[in-house]
Amino acid sequence: MTLLTELTRAPSAVGRTEQAPSRRRRRRKGRRVANVVAVVFAVVWVFPVYWMLNTALKPRSEVMTTTPLFVPLHLTWSNFVSAVTQTNFLLDLRNSAIVVVGAMVASIVLGVFAAAALTRFRFRGRRAILVSILGVQMLPGTALLIPTFLVFNHLNLLGSYLGLILAYVAAVLPFSIWVMRGFFVSIPVEIEEAAMIDGASSWRILRSVLFPLVMPGVVSTSVFAFIAAWNDYLTAYTFMKDQTMYTLPVWLASFSTPQTGTDFGGQMAASVVFSLPVVVFFLLIQRKLVSGMSAGAVKG
Amino acid sequence: MTRISSDARRKPAGALAVGPRRFGRPKPQRRTSIVAPVSLLTPALLVIVALIVVPILFLVLISFTDYGRRSLFTGTFHVVGLAQYAGVFADPDFWAALGRTVLFTAAMVGGSVVIGMGVAQLLSVLGPVLRYVVTVVLILAWAMPNVASSLVWNWLFQPGYGVANWLLTSTHLFGDMTNTNWGQDPVLAFVAIWMLVVWQAVPFIALTLYAAQTQVPVEYFEAARLDGAGEWLIYWRLTVHFLKPTLLLMAILSVIWDFNVFNQIWLVSQGGPNNATSTLGVWTYKTAFVGFHLGEGAAIAVVTTLLLLAMTAFYIRNLVRSGEEL
Repeated sequence: MTLLTELTRAPSAVGRTEQAPSRRRRRRKGRRVANVVAVVFAVVWVFPVYWMLNTALKPRSEVMTTTPLFVPLHLTWSNFVSAVTQTNFLLDLRNSAIVVVGAMVASIVLGVFAAAALTRFRFRGRRAILVSILGVQMLPGTALLIPTFLVFNHLNLLGSYLGLILAYVAAVLPFSIWVMRGFFVSIPVEIEEAAMIDGASSWRILRSVLFPLVMPGVVSTSVFAFIAAWNDYLTAYTFMKDQTMYTLPVWLASFSTPQTGTDFGGQMAASVVFSLPVVVFFLLIQRKLVSGMSAGAVKG
Repeated sequence: MTRISSDARRKPAGALAVGPRRFGRPKPQRRTSIVAPVSLLTPALLVIVALIVVPILFLVLISFTDYGRRSLFTGTFHVVGLAQYAGVFADPDFWAALGRTVLFTAAMVGGSVVIGMGVAQLLSVLGPVLRYVVTVVLILAWAMPNVASSLVWNWLFQPGYGVANWLLTSTHLFGDMTNTNWGQDPVLAFVAIWMLVVWQAVPFIALTLYAAQTQVPVEYFEAARLDGAGEWLIYWRLTVHFLKPTLLLMAILSVIWDFNVFNQIWLVSQGGPNNATSTLGVWTYKTAFVGFHLGEGAAIAVVTTLLLLAMTAFYIRNLVRSGEEL
């Protein structure tokens, strides 16, 4: 393409032909500069992740050295073993699993039905509902936390799985409705009309035609819900005061193994274990994250 | 808004059986009654009302009371009118926190948008291999849960053994920083938190801008090059022009996100030293859940929410307007 541009340019720039090669050289030089910048950027940006892995895989004696070791001299899994076995990891993993799955299932079921209603039917107030669902996303997390805390305190829901699940549903549901809506909208009306001509009732159409078609949407919405609930620290930290009810983010933030004060090797291993599922999901649905987040997610 | 109400007059086609001509134009949209959408929507709406709308109303309500630690057990509290708000506005800590929040937000949004633009441009000139590498690196930084990344940050900047301290010391630019305690220095704590937030904010902005950049028709660039425009001029006049709507959205989303940053501040510096990194969110949390002055905390939360709404009024107006095309 560069060549083509130069060729087409040539006749009009007869008097300046000697300039063309220098320009081309400058652009090739620009490419080389870009490559160098890209490598530097990649190294700087990946460094914290690399350092987490590097520390997690070092034996204790190599973690704290006056000159940092940029590669582990002796690879070891002992940090992972101690992070998982010498703490409440399994218990807190169970707590996290219960809460995350509960919030995910509830918000998906409610979200799919609501999105179906908001896209496949016309009724009074439909647009107002859609806009307020987007607006609700703007509320700061701490603003909802105070009243929810008080209400749950009176209902004895603080420190229970149900309380945390409800708080997560509140955080995730508006967004799931919004994402699911996109998937419903993309299904052509003709498919529905064909089913209608064949005599299917609207329930039948929803169940046998629409729901199978929006399954990819259900998958990516579940991943969004999973990430939001799995990562939440603030709500769990505020609601769950009993150590046996901690979820993994709270476990991670209060991480310490019994023997030493702050065991950075163990802490980094724990961070790796906690981050791994999220990183895998991110790599899987990367493309949808870009479009989905700008489509209406306002929560971080 | 008028468009919304006019649309609401479109009745579901099921109403045809009752009185076909009375509502003017019958629109054959769906041959069912209103029962189907209502029964599909009601559960979700009930949950949203119970878990979001009611709590927000309750938040406003308790901001007019003296709800405190004792009320949590006894359930009794008194209406104090606007006293909590008067107290908040008279408190120099509030104004300090507000100033800090605005400064933090501006610095973070500015940093992440500028770097994000640079990286998006970088992605568009790179070859496929390096582009893939940079994309994977971006996703890794983006995907890290912020509790984990905050812990990693504490370890990078750990006094004594932190690798960042060691690297900075070996550059000999700032003297011996081996034992610098970032979390305990007002400026350095802010710098560390800024780097953490920007590190995780750049990927989303860069990838979104890059996606938008690939949509710009190539002909424009070719025409500009034919006319002999330099690469800088092309970037500022053409690329930035086409990216404007996306840039605006990124900036507004970043304002909302960065205004509400909590975990990173809480886990890196706990808002300290001496409240030097305590933004409105952190200050609200401390008031409500450390001091248990819930009434006062509610008042701050209401003020914070209103500020955020005012700052993003433009976005909200677009949101309401976009409702007409939904």
